[in-house]
Amino acid sequence: MSKTHTLQRYLATSVLLTLLHSTSWAEEVDPDGFKNPLQHLNFNQRQDQHEFERAALEALHIKDPLEQWNRRVYHFNYRFDQWVFLPVVKGYTTIAPHFVRTGVSSFFSNLGEIKTLANSLLQLKGHRAMETTARILFNTIFGVGGLWDPASKMGLAKNNEDFGQTLGYYGVPHGPYLMLPFLGPSNARDTTGAVADFGIDKSVNWLNMAKESQRNPEIFGLQIVDQRYITELRYGQLNSPFEYEKIRYAYTKSRELKIAE
Amino acid sequence: MLKRLLSPLYLVLSLLCILSFSAQAKQAATNYQFPLHNAFEATIAGTPKALRPPLPDDADISQHDYSLRLRPEREYTLPSNFWPVKTFRYRLAKQSGPAPLIFIIAGTGAHYSSSSMEYLKKLFYGAGFHVAQISSPTAYDFMVGASAYATPGYSPQDATDLYSVMRAIKKQQRNLQVTDWHLTGYSLGGLQAAFVSHLDEQQQAFNFKRVLLINPPVNLYTSVNNLNSLVNTKAVGANETRTFYALMLDKLTRFFNSKGRFDFNEAVLFEFQNSSEKLTDNELAMLIGSAFRFTAADINFTSDLINRRGVITPPQKRIYDGTNLTPYFKEALLCDFECYMHQQLLPLWRVHFKHTVLAEVAVTDADLDLLNKASSLYALTDYLSNNDKIAVIHNADDIILGRGDIGYLQHTFAERLTLYPYGGHLGNLDYNENAADILEFFHE
Repeated sequence: MSKTHTLQRYLATSVLLTLLHSTSWAEEVDPDGFKNPLQHLNFNQRQDQHEFERAALEALHIKDPLEQWNRRVYHFNYRFDQWVFLPVVKGYTTIAPHFVRTGVSSFFSNLGEIKTLANSLLQLKGHRAMETTARILFNTIFGVGGLWDPASKMGLAKNNEDFGQTLGYYGVPHGPYLMLPFLGPSNARDTTGAVADFGIDKSVNWLNMAKESQRNPEIFGLQIVDQRYITELRYGQLNSPFEYEKIRYAYTKSRELKIAE
Repeated sequence: MLKRLLSPLYLVLSLLCILSFSAQAKQAATNYQFPLHNAFEATIAGTPKALRPPLPDDADISQHDYSLRLRPEREYTLPSNFWPVKTFRYRLAKQSGPAPLIFIIAGTGAHYSSSSMEYLKKLFYGAGFHVAQISSPTAYDFMVGASAYATPGYSPQDATDLYSVMRAIKKQQRNLQVTDWHLTGYSLGGLQAAFVSHLDEQQQAFNFKRVLLINPPVNLYTSVNNLNSLVNTKAVGANETRTFYALMLDKLTRFFNSKGRFDFNEAVLFEFQNSSEKLTDNELAMLIGSAFRFTAADINFTSDLINRRGVITPPQKRIYDGTNLTPYFKEALLCDFECYMHQQLLPLWRVHFKHTVLAEVAVTDADLDLLNKASSLYALTDYLSNNDKIAVIHNADDIILGRGDIGYLQHTFAERLTLYPYGGHLGNLDYNENAADILEFFHE
């Protein structure tokens, strides 16, 4: 679905709902105009709630037996990103015009849907498998090998499934947290999954890509640069001495959410 | 596979940006059309895309991050895992010819590249300014790379640190053609902008032409107290065994389950806040309070470690890239901002600054009171009420204000105060009417 289309729908719905919703606070406004928004909250009268502490400390309990190694890799990745990866991506954006970059992203994204299709089937998600099949066919045929993404414009939204999610779907626990060199946050289950997905891609050999990139490693290189280009995360972005812990929590929980849907 | 890195980001963003349009009944007819009338929703969600002003594209902005070596001694004394912030960085967007330059100071804990900073940069750049973005003195990178005592919270000292940074920027960018100097800051950065402007009257390095304080705390201690109290809302039932975060994640899981698809964007978040899983005001307040506590933890840990006080980290502890910091993170999370003031800020202030304010008050509470008065807008009342170049914009429902604060602003700033009826804390910063008002003030 195109952006403007989404926006229109979103605006229409929002206007409707604004009209429908008109719950009202019994508001007391001070003489100087101050509305004192905290007056609407229910506070625990006793100050010994400590719910924040309970929740925050529990969130830090994530299985991480290789923590020392993981932290070193995190710092390695951070340095590699700043000194090699991001400068390369910057060069790429300078050399390649915008439409080329979009085409490259769509192309690799189309290839990636083979993995989604295979894993939707493995999880017996028929509807998702059909949607993904339709996307691959439309984008490969009408999008000229996946350079464009007409399927999204036709209202077929992209799904993402991988073997890590399939394992999680069948109850495999995430195992120890892992920070992979170059690749970033993962865990034992998802790393296994990634290896399996790589195997699937190779054996399906869609559009002859797996074979071609073996013969021409620069294709593989372009794929990696494209991945970094479309990934918005920057190390240091959280500007916190505890960025490692925060990424670990966010990664683990977002994977749980993806497995659950 | 790097795409996976995106997902944690989405999760964090989603928790911070849950969107809603449910509006309260208007009490009085105004022509201010900002749609979110719930202060907590506005604070978290910000302005809907369609109501934001047009902004230049990043690709059309000539900008760069620059480094300054302001604390060279720390390159040797600090543990190696601080390597990314040992040199101080700022971002500068340059116009092609001569232009006025505006400094922007970030809010509590915020980085120079945080979303509000990027928004303000685009707004001012589009209006023809050179723009220099500076992290908050309470931010990790500023504390390590620029701050003399690395113990933020005493506004006069924070202003001194900021002023040194600005001078260093001016020196580094001496070839830049600047016609006039301007200054702004939001939230805590707004309060600090007032102190920087006051300092500049004495030192005259810039002679700022216009200074705008955006949603500043009036009484610093009131703001700290308000934010601290938000984590004491009844967001979790008394018999609930799951924690607050687990409950929030369960809500998201149920929502995505019923939707049958995992996908985050503005429209989905709006859908969420209109579903049966909608977050209540107590829960929204708890999220805001939590974010503040995580910032407090960063400040606690960083200030303690740089000064080797031994409050969080044992003074002799050797720390390197592989050191497990989680125990110190836990320790730092248990200490809120008020606890930080008592354990770290107040003792430092007694040694270095108390004599500059007033002598001979020994009791702790009195000290806290003195420190607070010297750090709040009250310390500058005369200066602010007699200076036409300084203005303030604020919201009648800002969650960092307390009773009487708006009265103080009206009295001190008179017609130089613009008060909006809605917006919560900074929720209307990128609303197009606010944007127009902000630019108009600097163009007069």
